[in-house]
Amino acid sequence: MSETFSYLLMAWSDPNLMLLTALGTFAGIYIGAIPGLSVTMAVSILVSFTFAWDVNDALALIVGIFIGGVYGGSRSAILLNIPGAPSSVATAFDGYPLAQQGEAGRAIGLSTVMSVIGGLIGTLVLASAAPVIGDLALRFAPRDYFLVAAIGLLLVGSLSEGSLAKGIFAAALGAVIGLVGMDPVTAQGRFTMGQTELMGGIHYVVLMIGLFGVAEALYQLHNLDSPVVRQKVDKILPSVAMVLKFLPLSIRTSLIGVIVGVLPGVGGDIAALMAYDHAKRTVKNPTQPFGKGAYEGLVAPETANSAAVGGAYVPMLTLGMPGDAVTAVIIGALVVHGLNPGPMLMVENPHIFWFTVGNLALANIFLLVFGLMGIKLFAKIVELPKAILIPLILVLCVVGTYSVNSSMTEVFWMLGFGVLGYVLKIFGFQMGPIILGAILGPLMDTSYRQAMSSVGDNPVELFGELLSSPLSLILTSAMLLILLSNTPLLGWLKGRLRPASSN
Amino acid sequence: MKKTDTLLVGERTFCVLLLAFSLGIAVLAYQIAGFSSINSAGAFPLGASAVMVLAALSILFDLRGRTRADSNGWLDAARQFTRAHFPPRTLIFTALAIIYLATIHFSFYASTFGFLVLSMLYLRRGRLVSALAIAALLILMIYLMFTLAFSVYLP
Repeated sequence: MSETFSYLLMAWSDPNLMLLTALGTFAGIYIGAIPGLSVTMAVSILVSFTFAWDVNDALALIVGIFIGGVYGGSRSAILLNIPGAPSSVATAFDGYPLAQQGEAGRAIGLSTVMSVIGGLIGTLVLASAAPVIGDLALRFAPRDYFLVAAIGLLLVGSLSEGSLAKGIFAAALGAVIGLVGMDPVTAQGRFTMGQTELMGGIHYVVLMIGLFGVAEALYQLHNLDSPVVRQKVDKILPSVAMVLKFLPLSIRTSLIGVIVGVLPGVGGDIAALMAYDHAKRTVKNPTQPFGKGAYEGLVAPETANSAAVGGAYVPMLTLGMPGDAVTAVIIGALVVHGLNPGPMLMVENPHIFWFTVGNLALANIFLLVFGLMGIKLFAKIVELPKAILIPLILVLCVVGTYSVNSSMTEVFWMLGFGVLGYVLKIFGFQMGPIILGAILGPLMDTSYRQAMSSVGDNPVELFGELLSSPLSLILTSAMLLILLSNTPLLGWLKGRLRPASSN
Repeated sequence: MKKTDTLLVGERTFCVLLLAFSLGIAVLAYQIAGFSSINSAGAFPLGASAVMVLAALSILFDLRGRTRADSNGWLDAARQFTRAHFPPRTLIFTALAIIYLATIHFSFYASTFGFLVLSMLYLRRGRLVSALAIAALLILMIYLMFTLAFSVYLP
């Protein structure tokens, strides 16, 4: 117990870790506030720079950036009506109308407090749920891992913006990219086209920097001339009465955020939209109509997207599966540092888990301090010229990619992935499923082959196990339900059942 | 990107290319181990490529009934696509990036400085002195950050 407590307070008691968390949170708010600079992009690039660091130092900085970045996106959503991050899309619905009414300062102040409440609830759930799920995960058979990964890919494909087919295509493409290289069992080359350079595989940080860094930078070139809108920012601190008034809603939407965050592959963007929808349906008398500056419309997405951060860590630390795109990058960081995210992490390296919990809580406290203190300063940063920012992003992408394996070939690959991502983006494909596919694909391959080996390569026996094991049955049913809900078949079934039940 | 009733210029061609690409991936997956075993090195890649082919077919299928983009033939469509998504700004910036990567082995700092100055000059349509000053400042920051703070290998 005392050991757990010391791990928990590690970031709070070590000045170096504290400083890195503070620095990360501060930088994260800036990065999140700049439209076009996403938290995923920042963490992808940053992870490659921190490979040589001590794991705790690297994690402290990354946690800070993650927490700060998710929150920072609300700044530009409120001030400019341009969400700085996908998780802030819903924040703009009521945040920008509030800014237009001269309430920008109060809106930002309230969103800061609510983000911290959401973040702390998310951290609390992580601390209490992850050990339980971790214990359960120790009983997972390889087939269950396969099913959880498949559910994650299906969820990210179906819940992300755009069509399910596009989401599934992107996830499968990611899986193929993840499988490039030597097969770990037979040492056969897969998708290498005879190139020995490809036998080592394509590092997914390279893919990630290309898709989130270069593709986004190319996309932002279209918005180079968008005019800068300046807002008056004052009346920052929300009153205690105001916070208390929205507390019940914030707790409800935080829980929505955590639950959505826990689902593998789905992150703050979906959580925020679901929470906004919940607020719209349940709040009878909002301060103003939704979409016209209702504070409830600001509170719901801000608490949910922050709570989703803690939730996203749950599958990452217990199952080794990313809760969202950022935790996918963090998995990479842990692996590079010789740690193996998954059920054994909690057994072999409990300090990483408790350190993360303590660090998330600390980052939220820094968020409150920086968020409320530097509002006017942060309002300025969203006006940074893109003509300077975009070339700088490209240089950072180059340095970040090179630092992974000191290979210029990979830097060219990264640029190629960037252009590919840009073209896919034009036609409405999402980048998240590609990354998750690249991470979950090899994991699914391994689990599939282990599951097959365990039944002597007999698919009928494997099918039998899927039905006879309660856990596998639940996971199979969940997967089928998700698949069904995305096809016209469910509507048809409902249509058939309704007249039957009304008769 | 929101789904509209009108096809984007080049969307159908792109989806056909996606299907062709997926079929190519399926061939590569088959070449790993054929259909030798349900548990071979190529089994999961075959499955993943099959999903790609099916998804690409479904994406193509979804295009049915949507209004074609207003264009007069392939050449006009290609011209419209380039104008909308690969305007000179994107092409020149990408070209600058490729030249930057090709010259980086001579000297990281010199090529980065050159890239920053040229791209800022182009994207901001001039302002040489300020571009030089900002690029110099950024180079200094990169040097301090990556050699001192992060200790990473620079190209």
